[in-house]
Amino acid sequence: MSSDSVAEVEELPTAVSDDSSSELAEALKVLTALQNTVNKQVLGRDDVIELAIIALVADGHILLEDFPGSGKTTLAKALGEAIINGSSSDESIVPFRRIQFTPDLLPSDVTGVPVFDSNSNAFHFRHGPLFAHVVLADEINRTSPKVQSAMLEAMGEKQVTVDNVTYALDDLFFVIATQNPLDLVGTYPLPTPQLDRFLFKITMEHINRESELDVLDTYKERRDLSAQLNTVTRDEVLKARKTIDAEVVISPAIKTALVDISRNLREDDRVLQGNSTRSMVLLLPALQVSAALRGREYVSADDIELLLPRVLGHRIELAPGVADIEKVLLDNMRTPMEQLAKSTLS
Amino acid sequence: MTIRAEHSSHHFLPTSLRAAIIASSFWVLSLPMTVVSGSIAAIIGCLFSCYVVDSRLHQQPLSRLRTITIIGLSVVSWLFAIIISSFSVNSDIVASVFSPILTFNIAESIKWFGISASITFSLRTLAHRASYGAVIEILFVATAFVITLAAHRNGMIHRPFFIGDFALTRGIDPSSILMAFGCGAVLSLSALLMVENNQRRLPYHFAVLGVLCFSLLIYVRMFGLPTPQLTDDMGLTGQAQNGNNAQRDNPFRDGENDNNDKEAPVAVVVFRDDYEPLNGSYYFRESAYSEFNGAMLDYTSRDDMDRDLIEHFTSSRTETELLPGANDERKLVRTTIGMLVPHRNPFGLESPIAYENKANPNNLRFKRTYDTFSLAPEYDFEYLIGRETGRAAWSDEILQEYLTIPDDDRYQNLAEELIGNLRPEYVDDPFAKAWAIKTYLDENGIYSLKNEHAYEPDPAASFLFGDLTGYCMHFSFAATYMFRSIGIPARVGIGYSVPAANRAGGSALLVQAIHGHAWPEVYFKDVGWVIIDPAPQQTLVDMTTDPQNDLQQLLGDMLRDDASFQDFLESQQSSFIQLQTLLNILYAVLALTLTVAYLIKAYRLWIPTFAASENQYRLSYRAVLDRLSAVGMHRNFGESRESFAERICSNVPSIKPLTRSHLALALGNSTSESHPDSEWENFDLAVRRELNSNTATWRKAVAILNPFSWLLTK
Repeated sequence: MSSDSVAEVEELPTAVSDDSSSELAEALKVLTALQNTVNKQVLGRDDVIELAIIALVADGHILLEDFPGSGKTTLAKALGEAIINGSSSDESIVPFRRIQFTPDLLPSDVTGVPVFDSNSNAFHFRHGPLFAHVVLADEINRTSPKVQSAMLEAMGEKQVTVDNVTYALDDLFFVIATQNPLDLVGTYPLPTPQLDRFLFKITMEHINRESELDVLDTYKERRDLSAQLNTVTRDEVLKARKTIDAEVVISPAIKTALVDISRNLREDDRVLQGNSTRSMVLLLPALQVSAALRGREYVSADDIELLLPRVLGHRIELAPGVADIEKVLLDNMRTPMEQLAKSTLS
Repeated sequence: MTIRAEHSSHHFLPTSLRAAIIASSFWVLSLPMTVVSGSIAAIIGCLFSCYVVDSRLHQQPLSRLRTITIIGLSVVSWLFAIIISSFSVNSDIVASVFSPILTFNIAESIKWFGISASITFSLRTLAHRASYGAVIEILFVATAFVITLAAHRNGMIHRPFFIGDFALTRGIDPSSILMAFGCGAVLSLSALLMVENNQRRLPYHFAVLGVLCFSLLIYVRMFGLPTPQLTDDMGLTGQAQNGNNAQRDNPFRDGENDNNDKEAPVAVVVFRDDYEPLNGSYYFRESAYSEFNGAMLDYTSRDDMDRDLIEHFTSSRTETELLPGANDERKLVRTTIGMLVPHRNPFGLESPIAYENKANPNNLRFKRTYDTFSLAPEYDFEYLIGRETGRAAWSDEILQEYLTIPDDDRYQNLAEELIGNLRPEYVDDPFAKAWAIKTYLDENGIYSLKNEHAYEPDPAASFLFGDLTGYCMHFSFAATYMFRSIGIPARVGIGYSVPAANRAGGSALLVQAIHGHAWPEVYFKDVGWVIIDPAPQQTLVDMTTDPQNDLQQLLGDMLRDDASFQDFLESQQSSFIQLQTLLNILYAVLALTLTVAYLIKAYRLWIPTFAASENQYRLSYRAVLDRLSAVGMHRNFGESRESFAERICSNVPSIKPLTRSHLALALGNSTSESHPDSEWENFDLAVRRELNSNTATWRKAVAILNPFSWLLTK
C-alpha cells in the first residue's frame, strides 16, 4: 500500500497558524542551530544537550550529576561558545566562565570585588566569573555554604550584591553546576531548598559504546572545530525565549494535570515531602521550550513525560526505605495523564 | 538453593488451590464408585501428584523426561495399582492376614490412589508442558462435576445424598446446586490460569474454554440433556442388600455392612386409614425365620407353615391364606407402599392380609408400588394374658417345627430360671412367661452393631450366654429359642420397625435403611402372631435419625400421585421468579444491550459526517480511534496520545499527523478554520486504507462483529 498515501498525509499542513508561525519557526531555527552546534562537539549526549538548551531558553539552571571526565565541561563550553555576544551587549559579559569550587573559595571570588584604582582614586568593580552567559560551576558541593548561597542568590535573582551595590547579571545568565555523585568526603551537599533553584537535575549515564568510539575517533577534528561552527547571538536566544513564551500555548488541561500530579505526590505515603508550587511555575516555560523544539505550538503530554521526572526528581524527599523515585512518579502521573488524554476527546 | 526455595514458596498458594479443586473433582467422581477409604485415597493421590509435579517438574529427573514418557509411566502405574488391588482382593493370603473388610478397604485405597495420582500427574504435566494442557485440566474438572450433576438431575435421589437431598427438600432442582459447584470450580481454575506465568497462552485458553462452553450451551438448548437410564437403582445399592435379607446366607453377618447409609430411604408408606400403634412403633413384616435348619432358623421350606406370609409379588391382588384372629381388636388399615429399593417380598403393616399391585406413579423413583391391607392390632398386652398359644389347625408336626431349637440345654435352663420368678397366678400363663424373657433381655442386653458372634456355630448362644451384646438379630433369635424351649411356638419376624414419632402427623411415613429390624413373634390362639420385641435399655449405638419430614412428605405426595415432582417443585418455587421468566428477561437484556452497543458503535463512526467544523477534530479522531480499537489497537491507561501514535505508527502511519492535528486543536489555540473538514476526511480515508491492508482478515471480521469495541477507545 501506501507509501503514496502516507506521503500524501505527511504533506498536510501542520497545526501552526500563519501569523505566529514565522516567528516561532525563527525561534525554532535558533534553537536547532544551537543544538546542532553543541551536538557536534559533545557526542552521545543528545538528551542532556536538549535538556540544557531547554533550561537555557526557559531561564532555568541545571545540576549535572556525573563522574569526572564525562564531558560536562565540554558541554558547558560548547554551549557558551555557541552564543556570541552580538552587537548591543555589555563588554563585561563574556560567553563562558568556569568556576572550580573548592572549600577555601570566597564569595568575592565568584561575584567579583571592588578594586581601588589609584588613577581615578576610586573603587572600580572588577567583574567576577558570574558575569557570563554560561557559567560552569564545577563541583558545587565542594565549597562552603557561604559561597553556595552567593551563587544561589545570583542564580535566583540574576544579580550580585557587593558592598551594598547591586550589579545586574546578563539576561541570559545560565548556570551549569556539577557534582560528583560518589566522592562525598569533605563536601557540603546542597540541601533540598537549594536544589529547588535548579530547574533540572540530570544524572548522566555513561555514553554508549558507539558514541564512545566516536568520541575517540573524532577527538582531533573536534578540537579545532569550534571556530567553524554556526553560532547564534545572545539577542537571538533572548528573542526566541520571548517568542516561545508568547506563542506556545499551555492548555488548561495541561495545568490541571500538573497540579493533580503534584497533589497526588504530596498525598502519596511513599513521599515525605512533595514538590513546591514554584517547581511547577518553573516547569511551565520549560514545557513551552520543549514543545517548540518539537515544532509544536502547544504543550502536550509528551513534554510533561519528558521533563517532569527531571524537574521533580531532586525536589521530592522520599520516605525512608523507598528508593525508586521513577516508580513513585510514574504511579502518581498515570491517572492525571489519563485524564489529560481523555480531555482532548470531550 | 535459596532461589529454588523462593520459587516453590511463590507457587505454593496457586498449587494448593489447583490441587484442592482437582482433588474435589476426584472426590465427587469417586463417591458413587467406591467406599469412603477409596475416596480419601483418591484425594490424597491427587494432592500428592499436584505437589510433586508443581515443585519437581522443572528439576532432575523429571525435567529430562519427555511428556509422552511421563504420561506413559502414569498409565503404567495406574495399571500396576489396579493389578495390586485386584490381587489383594482375589487372593486368600492377604485376606487371611488382615480381615476381609480391611483387605477390601486397602485394595480400594490402592486402586483409587493409583487412579487419581496417575491421572493428576498426566494432567498437571500436560498443563505445564503443552498449550492445551490447562484446557484439558479444566475439562476434566468440569466433567467430574457434570457426571455427578447428571446423576442428580430431574430430582433423582443419588449419591452423594447430602447434595441432592438438601436441594430436594427445599424444592430446588439439585442440578442448580451442582451447576453452581461446577461453575465455581471452573471459575477458580480459570482464575488460576490467569496467575499462570505464561501470559502468551492466556487468550488461547480462554478462547478454547469460551468456545467449548458456548457449544455445550447450544447443544443443550437444541437437544436437551440426555435422559438417565431407567435401570438406575438410584445409587441405593447398599440398601438393596440391607432391604433384601433373603439373599444372605447368614442373617447374623449383616452387621458387617458399613453403617454410612443408614439414613438412606428404602420405601415410603402412605396411610389411607387412621392408625396409631399402641406400642410406639410401626412394624412392617416382610418375611419370617421359622424353620430350624440344623444350625439356625431359616425361611420355611414347607408349604403348610407361615401361610400368613406372601412370598412373591404378583401383578394382581394377593391375599394371605391365613387370617389372624381377634378381629374385634384389630382394625383394617389400607396403606400404599412405594419401594425405593428392590425387595424380593412385599412387606406391609402388621398384620398384612392382602396386597394389591398399584400403578407406579413415577417409575423413575419407585421400584414397585402396591396397596396393602392390614389387620393392624389395637389390643394391648393385657388382652393376651391368659391366652393359649398355638393354632388349633396346626398339626403336631407344624407345632413341632415352631418349637425346634438348637441342641443346647442352656436355653431351657435360662428360660425356666427366668419364669421361675413369676407370681403364682401367672406361672402357667404363656404371655407372662414370654414377657419375663423379654424383660430379662430388656434389662440385661446391650444393643450394639458390633458383631462378634457372627462366626460362632450358634451366634444366638454366643450372645445370650456371653456378653449379651448384639443387635436385633441376636435378641430376636435368643428370645425365640427361649420361647420355644419352654413350649411357646415362636418365630423371628423380619421387616422394618419405624418409630411412630417419625410420622410427624402426616399420612406418609418414610422407611429408612436403619429401620430394618428382626423381632420375635409368638402365636396366640385366636389372636395370631404377636410381636414381643425386646428393647434393650442399654445401647452402644445412636440409632436415632434426623427427621426427614420434607423428604417424607415429598415422597408421600409423589406416591399418592397427588402432585407430580414438577408440580412439587413449582409449588415450592412459587414465591420466586420463574427460571424461564428470568431467562427471558436475561435474553431480552442481552439483545437490548447488543442493539444499543451496535447503535452506539455506528453512531460514533458516522457522526463526523454531520458534525460542525469546530467538533470535527474531536469526533473524527474518536471515529478513527474506534476503528483502531476494533482491530485491537487501543491506548493503554496513562499512555499519552503521542506515545500511542508512536506505538502503532508502523501499522497505521497516518495516525501520527492525525494525532498532531487533533492535539493542536485540543491543547493549542489553533482554530478549526485552519483544519478544514476535508482534512479530517482525508485522515479517515488514509487510516481506513492502511487498516484495510495491514490487518488480518479474521481481525477485520471481529472488528465488524464486536459490538463493544468502542468501549476500548480512550
